[in-house]
Amino acid sequence: MNAGGSYENTKAFLIDTTKCTGCRGCQVACKQWNQLEGEKTHFFSGEGYQNPPQMSEYTFTRVKFKDYKKNGQNEFAFYKEMCMHCNEPACASVCPVGALKKTAEGPVVYEADKCIGCRFCMMACPFGVPKYEWSKAFPLVRKCTGCYSRIKNGLHPACATACPTAITYGTRAEMIKEAENRIKNRPQRYYPKIYGQHEAGGTGVLYLTHQPLDELGFKPVTSRPLPSYTWQALRMVPGIFLTVGGSLSALSWFTHRKERIKREEEMLGKGRSPEAEAHEDREERP
Amino acid sequence: MTAAKIIINEIKGYHRFLQAMIVLVGLGVLASAVRFIFGLGATTHLNDTYPWGLWISFDVVTAVPLAAGAFTIGVVAHVFHIKKLEPLVRPAIITGFLGYSLVCIGLLLDLGQPQRGWHTLVYWNLHSPMFEVSMCVMAYTTVLTLEFLHPVCERFGWHVPLRLLRNLEVPFAVLAASISSLHQSSLGTFFLIAVDKLHNLWYNPLLPLLFILSAIFTGLSIIIFEATLVHRYLRQPDETELLQTLTKIIPWFLGLYLVVKLYALAYLSHGPRFDRPGLTALFLLEMVGGVVVPMVIFSLKRTRTDSSLQLRAATLVLAGLILNRFNVSMFGMIQKNQEIYFPSVIESLVTLGIIAAHILFFVLISKYFPVFEHHPETVDYAIPDRFHKIEGSEEGDKTVKA
Repeated sequence: MNAGGSYENTKAFLIDTTKCTGCRGCQVACKQWNQLEGEKTHFFSGEGYQNPPQMSEYTFTRVKFKDYKKNGQNEFAFYKEMCMHCNEPACASVCPVGALKKTAEGPVVYEADKCIGCRFCMMACPFGVPKYEWSKAFPLVRKCTGCYSRIKNGLHPACATACPTAITYGTRAEMIKEAENRIKNRPQRYYPKIYGQHEAGGTGVLYLTHQPLDELGFKPVTSRPLPSYTWQALRMVPGIFLTVGGSLSALSWFTHRKERIKREEEMLGKGRSPEAEAHEDREERP
Repeated sequence: MTAAKIIINEIKGYHRFLQAMIVLVGLGVLASAVRFIFGLGATTHLNDTYPWGLWISFDVVTAVPLAAGAFTIGVVAHVFHIKKLEPLVRPAIITGFLGYSLVCIGLLLDLGQPQRGWHTLVYWNLHSPMFEVSMCVMAYTTVLTLEFLHPVCERFGWHVPLRLLRNLEVPFAVLAASISSLHQSSLGTFFLIAVDKLHNLWYNPLLPLLFILSAIFTGLSIIIFEATLVHRYLRQPDETELLQTLTKIIPWFLGLYLVVKLYALAYLSHGPRFDRPGLTALFLLEMVGGVVVPMVIFSLKRTRTDSSLQLRAATLVLAGLILNRFNVSMFGMIQKNQEIYFPSVIESLVTLGIIAAHILFFVLISKYFPVFEHHPETVDYAIPDRFHKIEGSEEGDKTVKA
């Protein structure tokens, strides 16, 4: 983690949900690029029209469908769900072996070879992104990689490349500027907030919406980076160890002092007075 | 063959309760084998909504404070040097040693890649509470194993290591307390990352402090619990008089816990606290039944001498602690309209097996090793001057420690 660092130049997704047509080209592109197995699903097995019902070990991204009424007409809102690639990811901070990392380029990546499978990342993620290979005997975690391998080679992520309308990809500063411009230029079209700008301390995925965020099902998330919540306690670890250890050592030195002195006196006494020696006769050596 | 026969004959002589425990442990071992063959997904009710279930909530988050007896009594008896409590120390160390060993086993069962458990030793992440806890648990299990060697060495008459171990008794007590205060509290730090997930009744920045405080009073209570049961069912001497000292300490920690808890709830939690009746009921049950009532009972003068009152209050504390850890790690995490997790048969059998193993091994160790015979009146605590067998000395006050 480059704590306190700037994330202006990390790459970010700007997802304009008002432009999303719900074609799910991103879902297909993601499956293809990551070679993910298809899932057998049933229509309406989840919430509304969205399919598959949730992200899983086989599905790193999916388009959520939300129906709502506008002027008495049924309307759809769509938004793409994926790893948010947080600036300061909770998953990376809690991983005991550091298998998850925020890269300098932006994506949060996972080193499968390190993972011990404790699933703390799944507990910690405020967006419920990391998924587990429940189908396997020795499971690992799966999640969107932000197409790190493509980015390393100068390409854009698979989903952003496939999307005909809604996804813009670039540095985080540019994307925020672009989003602000869109809100400013067409205030009727946009809800005046960029989801992801401050959520969880800022994320690498930014959303623009028409409806209020909670109506669309965006989770309200704290704007403080999550790792700071645990670090404020963990940073005290060395201090507590030394304080408790030191004070208890000092205390036991005092509580055992009387006996120590008594024993020393006995030892001294043994060398000098014959009475003491007689007294200590059970200790005599051959 | 004959060795097997001897063992079978020995087991046939055990009490029926112990034989039942052996069966439960056997079932637990079988269930663990099934878990490894078919995988977590097929054998547990864990899923992406509930990545942690019974094994983390009980076998780790609850079992660690339940094993806190060893370090708390170590501090009281060795650091504060209240020598008369010496008879309570050794059984507590056995409980702690078994508890932590079983925590390690429970943790390995829950890991998706248990064969990589050693990775925590190599790939450090200082920002992870899980890293902190696993390092501490490994360190403390080592300390407890060394402390457990005490009765083993006595049993087999190994006097050179015994001499060393006796020299290290006090340093070990200090080390145990320092390591414990770290990982007992870090278990609370686990849930500080669950911002907006854990309900406001339990989520507050003082969670680590609350976890260590509750571990301390739980550790002291489990000693009362264990000593009373051992007196009743294993025909060991009645320790009510010694336990009296503990009943005087516990209410202070319960009170301190209550104050910190109420302060955190009033001033440090954000958002609605009493919006969900189910959670409010669990919270009240935990706080009233597990903290307030036992605090009152422990404060009564009658409790000082009444062994069954001591047992009742200690049991309430333990039940309250168990409920608290489940509230934090499971019930409080359930969001509105979320499916409810219920452990599978395999998960339940494994956890039952772990509890049974604890009881079984405790009884067996106390059967074959000098655990309760270790009374200061009959045993010389002095470091042996010569590497000979220590004979019982005539004077209790000859006690000398490094």
